[in-house]
Amino acid sequence: MFTNQQINLDILPSIDDVALKPISKQYLMIIVINRWVFYALIVSALMVAKLKIVHEGFQLAFWYLFSACALFCILNFVVALLAFKKRKYAIREQDVIFSKGLLVNSISVIPISRIQHIEISRSWLARRFNLATLKIFTAGESGIDLRIAGLNYSEAKQINDFLSNRVNGID
Amino acid sequence: MESIDFSQPARQSSKGILVIFALNTFKFIRRYFVLFLALGLSLSKSESPSFLSTTSLILIALGVFVLIFVLAILKYLNFKFHLDNDQFYLSSGIINKDMTIIPKSKIQNIHIKQNFIQQIINVVSLTIETAGDDKAEIEINALSHSVALNLKKQLFISRPISDNGLGDEPVQSALFFKASMKRLLLEGISENHIKSFLIIVSFVFGLYNEFENYLQDLGISDHFQTSVNIETGSILNLLLANVFIVVFAILGSMLFSVINTFISNFNLEVIENDNTIEINKGLFNKLSLILVPVKIQNIIIKTNRLKQYFGLHTLSIKQAMVNKKQQKNFKIVALEKHQVMHLVQKVFTRYADVDSYEKPEFYYIRLLTFRSILVGAFVNVLAFFIFGNYFWLINIIIIPWIVLFVHFTYKKASYQITDEYLTVNTGFIDRVRNISELKKIQSVQIKQSIFQKRNEIASIHIATASDKVKILCVTDQNAKAILDYLLFKVESQDRD
Repeated sequence: MFTNQQINLDILPSIDDVALKPISKQYLMIIVINRWVFYALIVSALMVAKLKIVHEGFQLAFWYLFSACALFCILNFVVALLAFKKRKYAIREQDVIFSKGLLVNSISVIPISRIQHIEISRSWLARRFNLATLKIFTAGESGIDLRIAGLNYSEAKQINDFLSNRVNGID
Repeated sequence: MESIDFSQPARQSSKGILVIFALNTFKFIRRYFVLFLALGLSLSKSESPSFLSTTSLILIALGVFVLIFVLAILKYLNFKFHLDNDQFYLSSGIINKDMTIIPKSKIQNIHIKQNFIQQIINVVSLTIETAGDDKAEIEINALSHSVALNLKKQLFISRPISDNGLGDEPVQSALFFKASMKRLLLEGISENHIKSFLIIVSFVFGLYNEFENYLQDLGISDHFQTSVNIETGSILNLLLANVFIVVFAILGSMLFSVINTFISNFNLEVIENDNTIEINKGLFNKLSLILVPVKIQNIIIKTNRLKQYFGLHTLSIKQAMVNKKQQKNFKIVALEKHQVMHLVQKVFTRYADVDSYEKPEFYYIRLLTFRSILVGAFVNVLAFFIFGNYFWLINIIIIPWIVLFVHFTYKKASYQITDEYLTVNTGFIDRVRNISELKKIQSVQIKQSIFQKRNEIASIHIATASDKVKILCVTDQNAKAILDYLLFKVESQDRD
């Protein structure tokens, strides 16, 4: 039976009503470790340079470089901390939602029916913390692909199974 | 046209050997062009080692050609294709055997092309594309035209062909549009010449870079410099020379645009079939493509002030995973407005040209101004390094440019969402209209920077399989409403 009722736009399910769920707190540790390693590398490179280069100008410049580096490091950590709270996701009956970003906030929605394939990837660090990254791909080169990092491994698997089943048409 | 039986594995026309041979020779020469040049130069200076006498060189060249020829024959012998009810099979490869199978229903495009050599020996090449890969999957180099047409037709028939074969209904096809010489000329003249100019400049630079050393060897640059030095006698001469260069550049770019338009769109024809659209065009490379409306993701209509005055519109068609070079071919130039509308409605059957568009918020002007001032400041810094203290003079050009840019870009930006289609208008000099079907949307994204958040403004990015459309600077609430609506449209579609 074909029907063509007018749709009341006010009663459409709204993105505002979705309770987005934050990702695992442990992922913060991974971010911190990654950043820490990065800055440690830069600082140690600076230190080595200080010891090796005897040129006078450099000795003066070293402290400028060092403090610039430290400032960046602090700023970077603060932004990363604040941005971490913005990483949230939700799975609805019909779509997957992921929101992220402090300076530029984005909310991406991929309808489940449009998912091409799903991938769970785990880095060495993520395996230590029992975390996983869920990647969701759509068709086409220009598509917006989701990459939800910092999910609990078991949860990632659960989501993966749910989505795979839905994509394959098993309810 | 009686239908030809493709059910047995068959080779292409034996002329294919020639085509493959010519193609491979061309590729070979192009790849080692610089090497040949270097060899030639060193020979002319008689610095070559003694074993490279003229006869041995000729023998080597002959050997290479024979090798390419033998490879062409082997390639031809090992290249077989056939067709059954719903799949196309191709086996190829001399040492590594490849077997490619394509289900008919997954075929996205079929092109029939004819390059210069193929025109001489009267064969065509047929290319089959699916959405899977961004380069063409199958290319058959040499088929006679009637065989190619027949194969193309059979590939597009999804139901098995009855064994009687003769009960073939004539396909209803009508010539819809043919671009006249005059319209092509106008199209070429009203083209964006800045683009042509950039192409010429980059081409010249590329050539120069490649052959810098050889040019120096030949002493051309010295010669050139002395001839320039004579002319820089007085300021008047310098000015004249500059004016001459500018006029030359403009004329050159115009000529390039016109010639380019002519060569790629010569004899442009659009033919309407029952459920496909066929485009034929090209002077040296004759091209024939078939478009299946179901596989079309977006349509882009482009025009500008001048073109609108002449009644010229360009229609580009976007499909999933088509490589950039091929994408350029899905373009129909010099269409009248009603013809554009007709074609759009052929693809998007229920598209209605309603003239009620929503405008982006005023914030968009602020954003555009801010961005262009940033770019302007950057150009100023650059100018400071080039022109020294008189750098601010370039602001005489930049400031009006920014004003015009902001004004026109805002004026032309608008969007429309109907029951089934999304239309977004953009452009500064050009007027670009992007139409996509709501049910082909792949994903939706709302983006908002912290500055926009304070003003309750957000942007929406909508991705189809071939393109990403942006609706910039609408209110927070509107953005969410649009997102909800689009998702509802996409997700409710599939329940049926």
